[in-house]
Amino acid sequence: MRALRTAASGMSAQQLNVEVISNNIANMNTVGYKRQRAEFQDLLYQNVERMGAQSSSQGTVVPTGIQIGAGVKAGAVYRVTEQGTPTNTGGLYDVAIDGRGYFQILLPSGETAFTRAGNFALNGEGQLVTDDGYAVQPNISIPQDAVDVSISKSGQVQVITAGETEPSIVGQLEIATFFNEAGLEAVGDNLLLETTASGPANVGTPGEVGFGQLLHKFTEASNVDAVAEISSLIIAQRAYEMNSKVITTADQMLSVASQVKS
Amino acid sequence: MENAAYVGLSRQMTLRRELDIVANNIANADTTGFKVEQLLVGTEVGERARNAFIRPSASFVLDKGVGRDFGQGALEQTGRSLDFAIEGEGAFFKLQDGAGEAYTRDGAFTLNAEGQLTTEGGFAVLGDGGPIILDRALGEPAVGPDGTISQNGELTGRLAVVRFDTLSVLEKGGDGLYRNASNAAPVEATDARVRQGMLEGSNVNPILEITNLIEIQRAYESISRMIENTNDLSRRSVERLGRVS
Repeated sequence: MRALRTAASGMSAQQLNVEVISNNIANMNTVGYKRQRAEFQDLLYQNVERMGAQSSSQGTVVPTGIQIGAGVKAGAVYRVTEQGTPTNTGGLYDVAIDGRGYFQILLPSGETAFTRAGNFALNGEGQLVTDDGYAVQPNISIPQDAVDVSISKSGQVQVITAGETEPSIVGQLEIATFFNEAGLEAVGDNLLLETTASGPANVGTPGEVGFGQLLHKFTEASNVDAVAEISSLIIAQRAYEMNSKVITTADQMLSVASQVKS
Repeated sequence: MENAAYVGLSRQMTLRRELDIVANNIANADTTGFKVEQLLVGTEVGERARNAFIRPSASFVLDKGVGRDFGQGALEQTGRSLDFAIEGEGAFFKLQDGAGEAYTRDGAFTLNAEGQLTTEGGFAVLGDGGPIILDRALGEPAVGPDGTISQNGELTGRLAVVRFDTLSVLEKGGDGLYRNASNAAPVEATDARVRQGMLEGSNVNPILEITNLIEIQRAYESISRMIENTNDLSRRSVERLGRVS
């Protein structure tokens, strides 16, 4: 019975769907998190009777044919890179990107990672780092005697040092964009890595054409919509149940068939 | 053998196939752009297994084909600028891969590393003049109802949306794709509209499919009982007629 396997493929697809949804709900309050969505595609079809096949010696052809599908599979789980709501935090080193782009982070391995989470802090040397202590690229150092820091929309970092009235520029934040943002590989800790699917990073100044601008003292909230996720969860559960119903039916039919000869 | 058993068996075989198709519909109840299918069952008049003076021929059950309902699925907002849905029945996006052209209703597209618009499976999405290449640095692509793509007010391409005179020339190829099984050429679908930031859900009606499931199971069971009764009947007649008094 093909129906058993078909329904099983439906159940495992819905299971994946629930896993994706639960990860979204779990990350509802993660800074810069982009919700994911599972996309399903039908599996291959078996031609039991080919359309266009001759059905008689008079040259009549089968108009529709019989194609029986083998179920469903996950086509892709992609990130929806919709803008998250900027939230005013008042944090002196919090920066949100409004529009396209990612901050560049230098990993301890020497690789560059990308993130939308701009809740930065200073390390012991006064360098701008992430929560995990990884340096933001290009390096920005805040002098020890700085009393106020401001970051402009175009990423210019200015400080006012003690005893001064005029701000002085200490660095310039740059952001990176990609042809295919969905192709970036998530590695946890809000970080993403460049892949061949994403294409190479295109680094530029915030506010330029094609790049978002920065919002100082804001962070970007996740773009998870709780209500939408809960309704997706309900749909996934019902779909799972319906597939299990198909398995029960197929099983009962098989049992009826085996009871014919008693 | 009795005709009844053979006729019953022919129906049971088609019921098994109907179950396979209903199972596929339910498995794909959440598949983007999926179109629901139904087995078309007809009567095949055949010779009776036993000769008799009165000769009404026996009617067997035969599956003639699969019917596809190309009705519109519900549009769902996804908030992704490269998701597209077609509003308009029987119209498709035109795709291309090494094996030739393919058609789909699943408009969850993406850009590859070269900036070319493709499906998740890597098929190039065709526009009026071949594959569509978008440079995101020019701004977010905005797509109008007629498929025209503009970035920052500048026209940069147009999605091809096509339809066939008869939809029965299409063969499902899996992965949400349809292939043209004939040499009929598609024409531009002028009445169909492209919706950006949306995807078309499947047009499977779960309640209908569960009802089908129950019907299939009950029909299968009652035919089994009928075959059993026929067997009983022959067994009893052999016993009774063969009794030596």
